[in-house]
Amino acid sequence: MATLTEAETHPISEAAVEALVARHREPSWLARERRVALDRYQATPFPSNRDEAWRYTDLKRFAFDGLEPVTTPLDTTVSERVRMRITDSDAEGVLVHKGGRVVQRDDHVGESGVIFTDLRSALRDHEELVREHLYSVVDASHSKYTALNAALWENGTFVYVPKNVEVALPLGAFTTADRGGLALGRTLVVVDTNAKLTYLDEYASGPFEGRLFSNAATEIVLKDGAKLRYVSLQNWSRNVAHIDRLRARLGRDARLESLSVSLGADAARAEVECLLEGPGAESEMLGLYFADRGQHYNQYTRQHHAADHARSDLLFKGALRDASSAVYSGLIMVDEGAHKTDAFQINRNLLLDDDSKAVSIPQLEIATNDVRCSHGSTTGPVPEDQRFYLMSRGLAPEVAEHVLVTGFLYEVMSRVTLPKVAEYVERVVQAKLGVPGVKEKL
Amino acid sequence: MADLPQSHPDADELQGMEHERQYDFQLPENYFFKSEKGLTKRVVEQISYYKGEPEWMLKFRLRALEIAEKKGRPKWGPDLSGLDFDNIYFYVRPQERQGTSDSWDDIPEEVRETYRRLGIPEAEQKVLAGVGAQYESEMVYHNLKEEWENKGVIFLDSDTGLKEHPELFREYFATVVPPEDNYFAAVNSAVWSGGSFVYVPEGVEVDVPLQAYFLLNAENIGQFERTLIIGAPGSKFHYIEGCTAPTYNSDSFHSGVIEIICQDNADVRYSTIQNWSHNVYNLVTQRAVVHAGASMGWLDGNLGSKITMKYPSCYLVGERAHGEVMSIAFATDGQHQDAGAKVIHAAPHTSSSIVSKSISKGGGRSSYRGLVQIYEGATGARSNVECDALLLDETARTDTYPYIQIEEKTAHVGHEATVSKLNDEQIFYLMSRGLARDEAMALIVRGFLEPVAKELPLEYAVELNRLIELEMEGSVG
Repeated sequence: MATLTEAETHPISEAAVEALVARHREPSWLARERRVALDRYQATPFPSNRDEAWRYTDLKRFAFDGLEPVTTPLDTTVSERVRMRITDSDAEGVLVHKGGRVVQRDDHVGESGVIFTDLRSALRDHEELVREHLYSVVDASHSKYTALNAALWENGTFVYVPKNVEVALPLGAFTTADRGGLALGRTLVVVDTNAKLTYLDEYASGPFEGRLFSNAATEIVLKDGAKLRYVSLQNWSRNVAHIDRLRARLGRDARLESLSVSLGADAARAEVECLLEGPGAESEMLGLYFADRGQHYNQYTRQHHAADHARSDLLFKGALRDASSAVYSGLIMVDEGAHKTDAFQINRNLLLDDDSKAVSIPQLEIATNDVRCSHGSTTGPVPEDQRFYLMSRGLAPEVAEHVLVTGFLYEVMSRVTLPKVAEYVERVVQAKLGVPGVKEKL
Repeated sequence: MADLPQSHPDADELQGMEHERQYDFQLPENYFFKSEKGLTKRVVEQISYYKGEPEWMLKFRLRALEIAEKKGRPKWGPDLSGLDFDNIYFYVRPQERQGTSDSWDDIPEEVRETYRRLGIPEAEQKVLAGVGAQYESEMVYHNLKEEWENKGVIFLDSDTGLKEHPELFREYFATVVPPEDNYFAAVNSAVWSGGSFVYVPEGVEVDVPLQAYFLLNAENIGQFERTLIIGAPGSKFHYIEGCTAPTYNSDSFHSGVIEIICQDNADVRYSTIQNWSHNVYNLVTQRAVVHAGASMGWLDGNLGSKITMKYPSCYLVGERAHGEVMSIAFATDGQHQDAGAKVIHAAPHTSSSIVSKSISKGGGRSSYRGLVQIYEGATGARSNVECDALLLDETARTDTYPYIQIEEKTAHVGHEATVSKLNDEQIFYLMSRGLARDEAMALIVRGFLEPVAKELPLEYAVELNRLIELEMEGSVG
């Protein structure tokens, strides 16, 4: 046939999946997973505001119709801004993704069996490891978006830290873009028994033409006693919409410290979920967002206690101004039998103008009695007395506000033991606030 | 029934049904009319016809029925699949004559017996200043103090209210909870029967609470009370409603609508402790519109019923309006108390406070579901929410679903919730002082509820404590 039918040319179709599988000569088990995911995608309706999880989200801002998966960048150079970020980040091993390709690779952590590479290379060199863990934490079934990612992800990052190995310096993946389309990246981090890792996952871009929809999935497996510090930093340019589903499974006595920061993009949704499967597992979940000039941020979190003696502690703080909006919706879920659970959850919002809107839904579902659980939520303006105090000390009103907003958000950053990351976040926040003399460096 | 006008569409049939009833030994209750089972247009028409309602009310009911059919049941919240409308009588009219009785002695023995079984002390009954008892679906007794009448206070059942004060009734009816609001409000609007109609004129303070006791007393009878309370500017009063029912075999359905209007500077409190039997679906819409400077307080206790969905709400529409919701939920095995509160701040300097205390025991589940919404322009609005849950054993469960939506920069909103179990040290301490284990547990539970219980009039607080003790019986296994 000379002309292709609409179904065959559609960017999200069976043909697209088969083409992707053929292009990379993917193993048959992966091809099968992709096909199942595509079926799932096609069978799942688009979310609507009638769905509880999407009730306060302007779904038009997360639409991707007409966008084609990005498989190559316009050019493979690493921009000055990204290079500066890398030097600035303390990261020992670095991987730079751009438009579905790896454009820079400093993955010299090969000794002691640590694997840090892109997913494509990992499929080639460590197929069994990938096969064992891929889709085991974030599969296609969660939503239309996870199904799409599972069916058509182009590339991503794979990290494996073997038993008892402690990686001293952070590893970091930087994802950037120079063209519009559908970016489908996937991250798989496996930290084996009693191993230890710090990992940075950054999304950032300078201005470019077109609209980009970035749909990321992050799977984290922490075996017994494993420890991971995970930082997700999103600072896309304004022509980007970003969805990231991050989910971690924690074994016995495993510990996860996660930080999710949303500063860029036009609209972003960060789903952060931990499943505490092993007794004594611990999860600290931090989040920070600062929306300005009409940005819309969605934070969905879940602390799922499936085992006894586990602990989770969540703090998400956000500031809003210039007609922007944010939703925080978090759930602590304690299963029957998860005795001696400690679970805490706090969301605080600072409203800096009347046109902005904050929605906060901290939720608890507790099915056992021997627990300590609490949650709290506050939303309010910059405290007048604090502003007054600073002004009485000679600070101009806008300077006082800068100080107070930075101080408000700093409660989150003060718990992050990565000074370079904290500095960077503070700088972006101050640039957004318009603090004189601070230029946002990427 | 012989003089049914032949013009009525169902006149023949209605007469036939009445005739049939006389020979029907399956109905021990002395009903004078019982609608057919299920929710249909015909049932709605029959209800309106029997009540001799004005045309506008019939139209309203039919419109509400259409809305209900279009809306369908809510897709969130507790499992309502066991609620089968086709097996429910939506209207039952008791044989007792309707109207006000002057003295306690006129109350039928049957009703008084039920009261006694509920354990309301006789002294208390006498003290109760005005008792409006809803037996089955209609008010059968009213006793208003003469001085209130002189002050112009109206305290009637809603059907009588509609007859005697048609203009006043129509002016406010369904203005707070329109049938479009939610599915169960639409159902209630279509088939409502009974409830209280209260009007307290400008500047009048009623110092003794206005009380109505509702009773459900026959199997499969839906009770759809419709209460309309109007506090004129500067008025002040406390309305108390208690619901209790003996246990039945099959599932029963209660879906009330309570509308309250607090005009400028009025101070209205509405307290209710529901203790429906554990097979009742209790799905109620309670809402107050609170105008400038007025204050509205809901006190809501949910002890009984199988499933409760009840979120008393305050719409703060006038400057400096204040809303308060205090609630207690107690869920034991097989019960799901999905209760909460809703406060909408739509005017400057409005304030609200929500305190929710829940206890779950032995497979019981209590959920707090709430909303605090602050509109842009509600400058200086303040709201504080506190939810505490106590879990008595391993199989108990609790949920908290607070929705907080803020569009106003100068608003201050806080929410806090805690979940805890009975503290072993406290139990040990009390037992070392000579209390039995279950006494110690009951004491701690009462202490947990104290902040809400102390807001109740004494006799209700006593009753609440008695109910808690009853529920706690056998907690020690």
